[in-house]
Amino acid sequence: MEHDFIDRYSRIDSFMSRLDPRVKIVGLAALMVCIVSTAPAALPAFAVYGAIILVLTRLSGIPAAVILKRMLVAAPFILMIVLFIPFFRGETVVLSRTFGSVTFSVTREGLILFWGVCVKAFLSLLSVILLTATTDFPTLLKAIEKLGCPKVLVMVLSFMYRYIFVIQDEFMMMRQAKDARSVGGSRLFHWRALAGMVGVLFVRSYERAEAVYLAMCSRGFDGNVRTFHPFRVTVADAAFFLTLAVSLSCVKVLGALYG
Amino acid sequence: MHIPDGFLSTETWAAAWVVSAGAVGYSVKRTSRVLKDRTIPLMGVLSAFIFAAQMVNFPVMGGTSGHLLGGVLAAVLLGPYAGATALACVLTFQCLVFQDGGLTALGANIFNMAVAGTVGGYGVYRMIARTSDKRAVVVGTAVASWFSVVLASVLCALELAASKTAPVGVVLPAMVGVHALIGVGEAVITGAIVATVLKTRPDLLYKPKSSVEV
Repeated sequence: MEHDFIDRYSRIDSFMSRLDPRVKIVGLAALMVCIVSTAPAALPAFAVYGAIILVLTRLSGIPAAVILKRMLVAAPFILMIVLFIPFFRGETVVLSRTFGSVTFSVTREGLILFWGVCVKAFLSLLSVILLTATTDFPTLLKAIEKLGCPKVLVMVLSFMYRYIFVIQDEFMMMRQAKDARSVGGSRLFHWRALAGMVGVLFVRSYERAEAVYLAMCSRGFDGNVRTFHPFRVTVADAAFFLTLAVSLSCVKVLGALYG
Repeated sequence: MHIPDGFLSTETWAAAWVVSAGAVGYSVKRTSRVLKDRTIPLMGVLSAFIFAAQMVNFPVMGGTSGHLLGGVLAAVLLGPYAGATALACVLTFQCLVFQDGGLTALGANIFNMAVAGTVGGYGVYRMIARTSDKRAVVVGTAVASWFSVVLASVLCALELAASKTAPVGVVLPAMVGVHALIGVGEAVITGAIVATVLKTRPDLLYKPKSSVEV
């Protein structure tokens, strides 16, 4: 079964993928913090954020269709919650419709909040996509570790990344086998079969974990993992970071002065 | 229940990040004290298992479906600290790879589901399953699963309300209502999974007192 989709686009050689991952993480995290902390009415600020993301997307070399597709996956979650916002909060009623005995009214304050939440959610989503699509997962983890995340947590995450697809495959095969053998039947029957599969999957995962541990011990594992991975901050990194820092501070200063 | 970016006010998500970082740090410390050099491979593979277990979908109503949260499942099988660590890893992975939940909101999501849901659920489980009687363990797991899903949804609703994204009177009943139903699915499936493990390898279930020799 194919699981290549996670790192497929991080192999594109582009300005964004050549950046030092630490610089990329700090820069894009700063961008996201700025985005979510901006007042919904500050339209020029959002225009600047949008422009920054557009430029970075061009520099990443990732096809726009891919980014849009990834966004669409997350969109239903956001829209489902956000759609109710215009209907509550605020006094200034913009639109009112009565269906039978129920009156729906859209308020100005509600609409502003609706816009704010939508634009923040989608711009942040784009930033995360830019980060993870231009960095392969192991490199991302190493960079997180260099930035001060506890080593144990990073190692657990990297092992998880290594085994996620092995275990997922095992589960998919078990489910395929179950589906091939049992057609129809009551829902309760299927639930019980499913639960039994997950129980068996746990036992197998546990046994696999022990086997992996023993294999590691026999190769000299003592709880520490040593890696070779020199990270170097280059001129391009400095340029990327300074440009981003200057434009973000400009937005914030101008916002404070004229907002 | 994965909160996207932009839904929480700066104070809310920043506070949640601080609390979650502390709680996960503590859990990692407690886990590695017990597991020592086994921590990394064991927790890594078992986090991957929790991730795979979350692929189990069950219909809720009106065409929507919920997936297994796995908090209580992790806590009953691995203990509260290792369970919380595993779930925090799963949530981080989902956020980075599948954009399921935002990065600034990750602290809040970890707090709701990995910290409060898992440890709170484990507390309920221990209260019911005082003895190692198999019925008590399965019933305790089921009740705790329902409780953990509802608790996480209450916290999620309160965070949204505190951020002034939605009024408490609307978001709290809506979230709790939906998740009280999702919780039933979670309870049935988690209970049945634990029953299977009890039948095949009861020695793998987390035992609080003998945990020094995992």
